[in-house]
Amino acid sequence: MRRALFVTATCGLVIFACSLWGQGPPAGFRPAAAGRGNAPFDLTGYWIGQVTEDWRYRMTAAPKGDVGGIPVNAEGRRVAAAWDAAKDESSEDACKAYGAGGILRMPGRLHITWEADDTLKVESEAGSQTRLLSFGAPRGQGNDWQGISIASWDRPAAALTGFSIGRGGAPGSSLKVVTTKAKPGYLARNGVPYGANAAFTEYYDLLQVPGGDTLLTVTVEVVDPQYLSQPYWYSVHFKKQADSAGWNPRPCAKGGQ
Amino acid sequence: MRILQALPLVFSAALLVAQGPPGGPAGGRGGAPAAPAAIDFSGMWTGNMQEDNMERGAGPELVDYAGFPINEAGRLWALSYDPSRLTSQFHQCDGYVAPYSVRSIGNTRVWEERDPKLQKLIAIHWYSQTFEGHRVIWMDGRPHPPAYAPHTWMGFSTGTFVGNALRVETSHIKQGWLRRNGLPESDQATLVEFFVRHGDHITYTSVINDPVFLTEPSIKTTDFFRQPTDPGGWLFPCDDSEQVTGRAPDQVPNYLFGKHPFLEEHANKYKLPVLAALGGPETLYGDFEAKIKTATVAEARAKTLPAAGPSPTSRAADPDPKDGEIHVLALRDNVYLLVGDGGNVVVQTGEEGPFVVDTGAGKLTDKILAAIQRLSNKPIRMIANTSFHPAYTGGNEKLKNAGSDPSVVGTFLSLSAPGAGSTASIISHENVVPRMNGSFNTPATSPGSWPIDTYIGERHRNFHNGDSIELFHPPNAITDGDSLVHFRRADVLVAGDVFTTTQYPFIDVANGGTVQGEINALNMILSRTVYEHSGEGGTIVVPGRGYVCDEHEVVEYRDMVAIVRDRVKAMIAEGASLPQVKAARVTADYDTRYGANTGPWTTEMFVEAVYNTLKKK
Repeated sequence: MRRALFVTATCGLVIFACSLWGQGPPAGFRPAAAGRGNAPFDLTGYWIGQVTEDWRYRMTAAPKGDVGGIPVNAEGRRVAAAWDAAKDESSEDACKAYGAGGILRMPGRLHITWEADDTLKVESEAGSQTRLLSFGAPRGQGNDWQGISIASWDRPAAALTGFSIGRGGAPGSSLKVVTTKAKPGYLARNGVPYGANAAFTEYYDLLQVPGGDTLLTVTVEVVDPQYLSQPYWYSVHFKKQADSAGWNPRPCAKGGQ
Repeated sequence: MRILQALPLVFSAALLVAQGPPGGPAGGRGGAPAAPAAIDFSGMWTGNMQEDNMERGAGPELVDYAGFPINEAGRLWALSYDPSRLTSQFHQCDGYVAPYSVRSIGNTRVWEERDPKLQKLIAIHWYSQTFEGHRVIWMDGRPHPPAYAPHTWMGFSTGTFVGNALRVETSHIKQGWLRRNGLPESDQATLVEFFVRHGDHITYTSVINDPVFLTEPSIKTTDFFRQPTDPGGWLFPCDDSEQVTGRAPDQVPNYLFGKHPFLEEHANKYKLPVLAALGGPETLYGDFEAKIKTATVAEARAKTLPAAGPSPTSRAADPDPKDGEIHVLALRDNVYLLVGDGGNVVVQTGEEGPFVVDTGAGKLTDKILAAIQRLSNKPIRMIANTSFHPAYTGGNEKLKNAGSDPSVVGTFLSLSAPGAGSTASIISHENVVPRMNGSFNTPATSPGSWPIDTYIGERHRNFHNGDSIELFHPPNAITDGDSLVHFRRADVLVAGDVFTTTQYPFIDVANGGTVQGEINALNMILSRTVYEHSGEGGTIVVPGRGYVCDEHEVVEYRDMVAIVRDRVKAMIAEGASLPQVKAARVTADYDTRYGANTGPWTTEMFVEAVYNTLKKK
């Protein structure tokens, strides 16, 4: 009888261990160094943005104080209403609309490459900006327009690990990027602000559409205790280009215009 | 005992196999990759309105099309749209098409439908509060319906899991909005969507392909949040009524080309060039930033008129299978559609024998007969012709001879029609007969194909197979002998040539057709229809050619004819000649849907018919 109990208990442990192994470690504990080696899809290449939503906020600077659907708090509204385009033009602030919080909504192309096995480089035509998305140690010190970006491959995980039965296939993944320590900038070209403590969480997904096109969608959550009353979510998309045709980086436009 | 002790080990080994490899890149450790996991979207969700906030909430402003890759037809259609059209009884409850519904304000609920025994996923239901849009996304691999099947606001959707996304393909969508300021999405649009979960957030991507109004797919992304509690708001009732009293039923609010009274309003309000507000594929891309600085009003105004040159032709899918076969589609109760031989054929079955409406072009009559015989073992009793046109009467003689009508045997009718009863009886408006027997300068057909039971006036009644069948005559529509046939209990209305989904109305001026009569005929259909909800469902309308409809398609078609009439009328009032009217391309916003430059009924013929019948007055 004792022997039977021992065997049963041992097997139970084996089952538990096996089920943990089967599900893999939680995303947060996955080794981050092998960014390129673990890539579930290929993000590299040239991508052209399509501006099909919030057009007048993205393609031009909307009138001062027009914050659209951005959930600014009273302070954010006050700062947006006080936006001084002329001041931006005459200072170093010409790139405030091209920082981590606004760059993906700017019209234009992206060029994505692996700078190293653990670092994706995202260059934008708009404002000639460069972002480094690191799967390993953070790159840079922050306090610049693009801040520090930590990347990971993110896949849906079970809420609880443990005993389970079944043969669900492997779910796909997103690229998740968390950016902090960016210099204060604009969420929209007309001076809708974000502060130094804003955090930007991005999810990059690849979608195959009829006709052979590949879409890159990026979903962004902005949390900013200084200027937002609640998280601000937006999503943008880019179409894959066959080559570098049309690639034309340009400097930040003064005053966001 | 040993077997029992070993069971857990076996079980754990089985688990290892069942659960597959640990997390990491897709593909695992070699071997065939497993099918992507089904992702659970069940629950209550609310759309995030932080992008396109005004459009999706309060509503868009007029002439704000920037960021839509519309072609000339799409732009001109939108510029012709007078929002007063919404006051029309037949537009007040118009629903939203699937991609617009997903982006609308309101609550959303998603649930799975699974086989109760095997727990296989059959469908995912996506319910939107706005217009109570209920989408069924079939996950069981079933095919999409044929091209002659009805269109709905939500369309027909099938889904698969791809990577971390639910990928959905949708066809059979009604004509609706790309944006509800008049920017149209045609009934030829198809949709591919991706739903990706990021925790309690969904990123939704829609890719609309519309060969009629777009130059390239229109792509948008939208966000949803999970609602932890039931928001309690799920319904969206609508009940239409007359909002503008005294307006004639043939008046459809519209702006003539180049005459939009609010063309510059939106652009001026936001200090945008009008050219940008008029949309087009170039407005999607970054290179347009430079154009914003140099665009002129003159450039914009040029885009508010049809370009000179030949008219484009229809880009719509052909709903006729054209495979040499007759295809049967059950409509409602005991009424069926037979497709494949030119004009649509409708058959009602029952104890008294089939009642057939129209007989096709005559090329596949044997197959039509075989199809009818599969639906009923009784001989055909009655045949109704909606028109004398050969596409609807080609099979008359064969089908008639294959049937019988015992109700007239030995009656006075046999005095005027020897042999009456030994065949099926053919009913039509009285003007059909002289068009078929050559009395009115049309080529005579075989006497055996002529109707023997005709009516004058506006209405003819039959009670057959337990249903009230009414024939209505709209005067001087396509011809002077058209009939609409209404099965009242089944609520199926057969429109003949008066309404098609494949071409401009074939107004046969030489045989009594007029544009005003056609508009009145379409309104006569609408006076008989009742929708089920949000302007769709309810009365089934079978067009003479094309896919099965309800009143919404008739309304859009009626609007089109009335708007073209208004344009031609305005030009006639200014003294324009027929060549000038043709050169003005008065159908420019409809040509990619209905236009033809060759064949029996071209765009030019239609414009000429409109012009000539208006000029006659």
